[in-house]
Amino acid sequence: MNSDADERALRIDALAKTFGGKQPVMVFEGLSLDVRAGEFLSIVGPSGCGKSTLLQVVAGLLPASGGRVLLGGRDVTGAPAHMVYLFQQYSKSLLPWMTVEDNVIFAFNHRLHLGAREARERSREHLAMVGLQESASAYPWQLSGGMQQRVAIARALSADPKVLLMDEPFSSVDALTRMELHALISELWERKRFTTVLVTHDVDEAIFLADRVAVLSRRPATIAELVATELSRPRRAVETYEDPRFLALRHRLLERLLRKPEELDAAPR
Amino acid sequence: MKTRASGVVLVIALLVVWEGSVRLGFVQSSNWPPFSAVLAALYHGIVSGELLSIIGSSMWRMLRGYALGSALGISVGVAIALARPVRLTLEPTIELLRPIPITAIVPPLIFVLGLDDRLKVICIAFATFFPVVTNTISGVTAVDATYLRVARTFGIPRAQTIRSVIVPAALPYILAGLRTSLAIALVVTVIAEMLAGDQGIGHYLLSMQYALRAPEMYSAIILLTLVAYCLNRLFVLWENHVIGWARSREVHEAP
Repeated sequence: MNSDADERALRIDALAKTFGGKQPVMVFEGLSLDVRAGEFLSIVGPSGCGKSTLLQVVAGLLPASGGRVLLGGRDVTGAPAHMVYLFQQYSKSLLPWMTVEDNVIFAFNHRLHLGAREARERSREHLAMVGLQESASAYPWQLSGGMQQRVAIARALSADPKVLLMDEPFSSVDALTRMELHALISELWERKRFTTVLVTHDVDEAIFLADRVAVLSRRPATIAELVATELSRPRRAVETYEDPRFLALRHRLLERLLRKPEELDAAPR
Repeated sequence: MKTRASGVVLVIALLVVWEGSVRLGFVQSSNWPPFSAVLAALYHGIVSGELLSIIGSSMWRMLRGYALGSALGISVGVAIALARPVRLTLEPTIELLRPIPITAIVPPLIFVLGLDDRLKVICIAFATFFPVVTNTISGVTAVDATYLRVARTFGIPRAQTIRSVIVPAALPYILAGLRTSLAIALVVTVIAEMLAGDQGIGHYLLSMQYALRAPEMYSAIILLTLVAYCLNRLFVLWENHVIGWARSREVHEAP
């Protein structure tokens, strides 16, 4: 099967990003990665390796310095429709002057042009998916961190993404809330099968959610390793973490990530 | 003296001193009427409708100038903050015009615009414009980059991004400018009416002075004080309504 034919397939081809200035910083170079249609792929890497930058370039929020990104076989220019970026800082990504409901409407109605009532209905449907229909008329800042990130998820999904790019979306909530959000995103993904790329520094999270995990090397980053998790779905908050396959993968990836830089740097600069 | 009441008490005390200074004969001048005479003049002016129509005409003039200056200030400010060519083109001119005292441009403007409302409305708009434009520029420049990225990722068209993201995010700054301008607009209204034409509270005040009708002159000042106070209160109420989210959010997010 030619996965490029599917418009959900994402191909990252020899992508490079260098931040200019007097001392240019090469964040990554010649980075290639195929994300299959409908796949859930996690990218883990040491902090500061450029994970977020990579995701922003893929999303068209930052220009690439070289290489290209293809969505469904077509070159991505600017921020493409149906590719949605979920930000780490929910408190800054939800618009504080709009109610929760209006934040969701904001994401889709410039495309759908629904009337006020239909727009509200669609917004509430998506809020119901994340269990927040009750909070529709609240303001985002009146909600807890976990609830805010759920609003952000509902908003992202209301735009009908074919590709969802998540930038450490669960890193600023407490551990239990994080597990709830994992379950939620897992369930929604199984239902909708949007191609998902999750960037995280949390190896457990990366394995728990993904079909495949890519490990980034230090700067300039390349894909150091790409492994399939081969864990059964649906993933379960307790059992999956005890699965021997999960533990073996966790062991392998953590060992790789915690190795000293000089041992890790296979490619010469 | 920790309550609001202490402030009110001082105001009343000062008015009593005013009244007493005349009644007890400390000051004896036809130019210094007792406060009660001023109140009486104010009452007659209002009941007869004369003062009301005068202050009404001033307010209408002010409102038009204020609206014009604010609208221009916000649009030009947004354009300057978002488009570099606009900034490079307009900024020097604005910087040159801004320090000009408004009173200095009234005489030449009379040649062009005459003594009518047009002149005054333009003067008020001119004075209103600058605080609004500078605050709008600061506000738009300070908009959090994440908001803009959110708009980008959802593919929000540029015009809608300006309307529903940039302007609301900059609104606390813009409103601060509008509030500064409100006080300035009232001052300029009165000055413009004093300098040109035969209408409005400014003209009334000056003619009462020429006519040596001190109670009427002071009643105009009292009326202006009340109007200015009410305008400011109304503005604060409106501001709280419009950007209540910004204040409440701060309270919510304080640890």
